[in-house]
Amino acid sequence: MENSKIFIGYIIYLPIVITLTYFVSRTLFKNGKTFMIDIFRDRKDIALATNRLFEVGFYLLNIGWALLILKIDSYDFQNTYQNLIEILSFKVGGFSMYLGVMLFLNLLLFFRGRKKAGKKSSLTPKTIQTQGPQVRL
Amino acid sequence: MNLNIIAYSIYVFITGFIIIKVGVICYQNGNIFVAHLIPDNSEFCLQINTILLIGYYLLNIGYAIITLSGWPTLQTFTQMTEVIANRTGIIICTLAGLHYFNLFWITKFIKNFK
Repeated sequence: MENSKIFIGYIIYLPIVITLTYFVSRTLFKNGKTFMIDIFRDRKDIALATNRLFEVGFYLLNIGWALLILKIDSYDFQNTYQNLIEILSFKVGGFSMYLGVMLFLNLLLFFRGRKKAGKKSSLTPKTIQTQGPQVRL
Repeated sequence: MNLNIIAYSIYVFITGFIIIKVGVICYQNGNIFVAHLIPDNSEFCLQINTILLIGYYLLNIGYAIITLSGWPTLQTFTQMTEVIANRTGIIICTLAGLHYFNLFWITKFIKNFK
């Protein structure tokens, strides 16, 4: 019966991790559309395609990593529910911190692309858009 | 009941599903990029993209099936979950790496064509 508690742990761990990834990714890329349209100014089709491709990459990276760190070592598992909860909390917490770091990396990527696109367009001046004060984020 | 065979079928199902799904998404969204790189010949673009897709499928599914040969003999369901998760994780992370690599080059090319 030693292994059954670890198995229960896996059954709890997998849905939590996958739904977490799903919600983070959905939020990020629903809002990422704005950035992409800003980066690829007048070509909306390319912006949407790039956004979708980045979303797929994000899913792959995070779910793959979640699956890689799944294993609970049975060597120092004390076979109590208390220990199971402690191990699970460590794993899920660590994964959610990793997810946060990935989220910020992606945001950084968006901001960098946006800055670069802004620089490029300033070389070819657009007279219509530069009138009046502009809010720069 | 042989656990290895169950594990193999689950593994092939999961990896096949992910590989085909990712391939279809990349194919649909990649059409626009290829069309931008070769602007005047849309039929040629479609053919290039299809060939790329087939190459991708062959490579990935072939690799997924080759790794089946090195599995340990499974004793319990716990071990089965661990091994499946580990193998699937390796394949998914490799896919993610390739995917980001491709995205990097594609966006670079697109910028040059601006």
